[in-house]
Amino acid sequence: MRAAYLIARREYLSYVATWGFWLSLLAVPIFATIGGVTPALIQSSQPVRYFSVIDETGQRLDQLVEQARIEERRAQVRGAIEMMAQGVGGDEAAERALAIFDEDPDGVSQTEAALQSVGLSDAASALEAGRTKAVQVEPPARTADALRPYLSGDQTIETPEGPKPLFAAFFIREHAENGLEVVYLSTNLTNSDLRGDVRDIIRAHMREQALVSEGLDPDEIDAILDIRPLVTSLDARSEAGVEEEVTFADRAPFFVALGLAFILWMAVFSVANMLLTSMIEEKGGKIIELLLSTARLEDILIGKLLGVAGVSVTLFAVWGGVGVLLSTLGGSAIAALDPDLLELLTSVFDPGLLLAGLFFFTCGYLMYGAIFLAMGSLCDTLQDAQTLMGPVIWILMLPMLIIVFSIDALDSMVIQIGSWVPLWTPFVMMARLPTDPPLWELLSACALMVVTTLIVLWGAAAVFRQGALRQANADSVRKLLKMGGKKKA
Amino acid sequence: MTEYALEVEGLSKTFGGKPAVQDVSFQARKGELTGFLGPNGAGKTTTLRMSLGVIVPDSGAVKLFGQAPNTKSMDRVGFLPEERGVYRKMTAEAVIVFFARLKGLSAGEARRRALVYLERFGLKEAATKKIKELSKGMAQKIQIISAIIHEPDFIILDEPFSGLDPVNQAMLEQVIREQAQAGRTVLFSTHVMEHAERLCDRIVLMARGRKVFDGRVDEALARVPRQVTLGASAGSNLAEVVSPMGEIETLAPDEDGSANLLLTLKPGVDAQDVLRACVQAGVPLTRFEPRRPHLHDAFVALVGEDAVETLRQEA
Repeated sequence: MRAAYLIARREYLSYVATWGFWLSLLAVPIFATIGGVTPALIQSSQPVRYFSVIDETGQRLDQLVEQARIEERRAQVRGAIEMMAQGVGGDEAAERALAIFDEDPDGVSQTEAALQSVGLSDAASALEAGRTKAVQVEPPARTADALRPYLSGDQTIETPEGPKPLFAAFFIREHAENGLEVVYLSTNLTNSDLRGDVRDIIRAHMREQALVSEGLDPDEIDAILDIRPLVTSLDARSEAGVEEEVTFADRAPFFVALGLAFILWMAVFSVANMLLTSMIEEKGGKIIELLLSTARLEDILIGKLLGVAGVSVTLFAVWGGVGVLLSTLGGSAIAALDPDLLELLTSVFDPGLLLAGLFFFTCGYLMYGAIFLAMGSLCDTLQDAQTLMGPVIWILMLPMLIIVFSIDALDSMVIQIGSWVPLWTPFVMMARLPTDPPLWELLSACALMVVTTLIVLWGAAAVFRQGALRQANADSVRKLLKMGGKKKA
Repeated sequence: MTEYALEVEGLSKTFGGKPAVQDVSFQARKGELTGFLGPNGAGKTTTLRMSLGVIVPDSGAVKLFGQAPNTKSMDRVGFLPEERGVYRKMTAEAVIVFFARLKGLSAGEARRRALVYLERFGLKEAATKKIKELSKGMAQKIQIISAIIHEPDFIILDEPFSGLDPVNQAMLEQVIREQAQAGRTVLFSTHVMEHAERLCDRIVLMARGRKVFDGRVDEALARVPRQVTLGASAGSNLAEVVSPMGEIETLAPDEDGSANLLLTLKPGVDAQDVLRACVQAGVPLTRFEPRRPHLHDAFVALVGEDAVETLRQEA
């Protein structure tokens, strides 16, 4: 085992003792931060879009649009403030924040003050993230032809920011069949936020008018539109007589298991690739025979697998450590931003799931690591490897596709069958765990996976020996596959 | 205690139905320098790989230090494979220490010896440089050091001279001599006969997967028919005098008209017998040049022209 240790150590250090490794580790928080602030950056860098509504019906629908957009936005911001304040300090904090927010009964001018009152001074910009900033202005002209120069930027309108082009114009007209018609005129064909908002406002207005014409009072209409059933979700697996509503905490293990399955897949895929490239480097660099004459084949295989496993453990350890640190130090901040996220993070540290994850990672890594090592031993270049990798990549991709397409039905037949395929068990069974599969099924599928792992290791060792000594190569596999194809034909 | 570092008995190996090695037996006696010769494709590398347990033979047996190859006996072997390379991103010292530790040396001892050997090979300055920064010759020296750093009892070198320039070939010959003088058993394969001729006590000659000779170098040379180039003044009876002593091949005459011939001696006749006969017969000799036999001639005599042609094409 001394040789295996030395080979593992060399393999491990060849990755970990490089700047590239630590830079790639650092890259993750850097990109996560960039990802986190990007919506705010986009928001802050997004230009204010000026639009006009030309009401040709004489019903003052332009004013209706303006008023409705303000009310809608106010309701959204109010709801968000209530949720955030509740996360920080419960109902009392929510009441306090809403009281401050409601000091401006018609607008959102008190948003920042409301959030500051519960210690969320920097959260205001998050509420605006992803929103299109649109300001309704008086139309500079009232016909499409006259408005075109303003929309194309040839002419500008006066705004608080100075002269600006018009982003869009809405014409609201009478329509013989539909009652009303909204014509949207803009040079931007992709942004649908504004168009959708105006359409929804006019639709609500038309429905209300229709109901009024049927003799209903506007207040009655509001009351009718607010009618909705009370939906309560209960977990049928809970004890008889105990009727607790299903909360996010109950759903968190499903999300965590799915997340772990994806992380497992990504980890297995990336470290198995490391083994492949390392093996090709040794084969191409003609080092492998020297190793074979110095250490037993088993020691080389085990050493390589352990070395690269060490790299992945380092990755997990660093990110696990960062995760624990962030959860400990920033728990309250996370709760402030998103209480569900904190619930999710807490569920990740479920020892049962983590142990299962470790077990599935070990088996998955050994199976795919051995396969990739064996493939690497057959190839002198990455180009050679690419031709062999195709089928293996498909085998590796399929469980992910199954999970993605069955994400709402983790107890479906496809998932059940997928979890029995030994090469897929590590990922599919991981995702299935929170559905409480029968114990016999879990143990049998795992046993089958362990046996397959041993067979794959044995087969990979045999291929490795042939490949390492140049008694077989990528062409041998292709010939073998062709022979198989001919025989079938 | 066996007197052999390596004993190979009836080794055979077939790849894809094509025999690579057929019934090969030989021994490497402790303390001797043995050459393993033959053209490319003769089965040398496959035999050496089987000798080290890297490839399992179809039939036959191998003994390293009197027992089947195992981790313990392998630690007493230093091997330089034909297909060789080192980790390009590691420093010269780190590569040597890595292989030394794989052979059982402690980290401290491996580092100490690495520096000693690097200095001995004129590579002291290269110790902290990455292999990719070194020349090909320097990298090959690192590989050689890696093979002998643990001061093994038995050194196997597979085509050690290939890829080296003449200066480094001479350096490697010196290293091999030093290792042999230090009492180590050395077995090296080559298809360049001159190296074996200069270095070896014994040779094993291979051709087309079979052993064709196994013995001392002088025994191999004894297989080569002796030849003498003779010249005599025009009109002499040189051919008549020497014809009973061997086969005559007429060569082009000199500018002054002197006749020249190549005499391939019959077994039991040597060059002195020819000289004596010419003097006694009063032949006016202008040339008398006994040809010194080489291993190449022995190889031709043992293997035949076809294999020699293959060797010529592959060299």
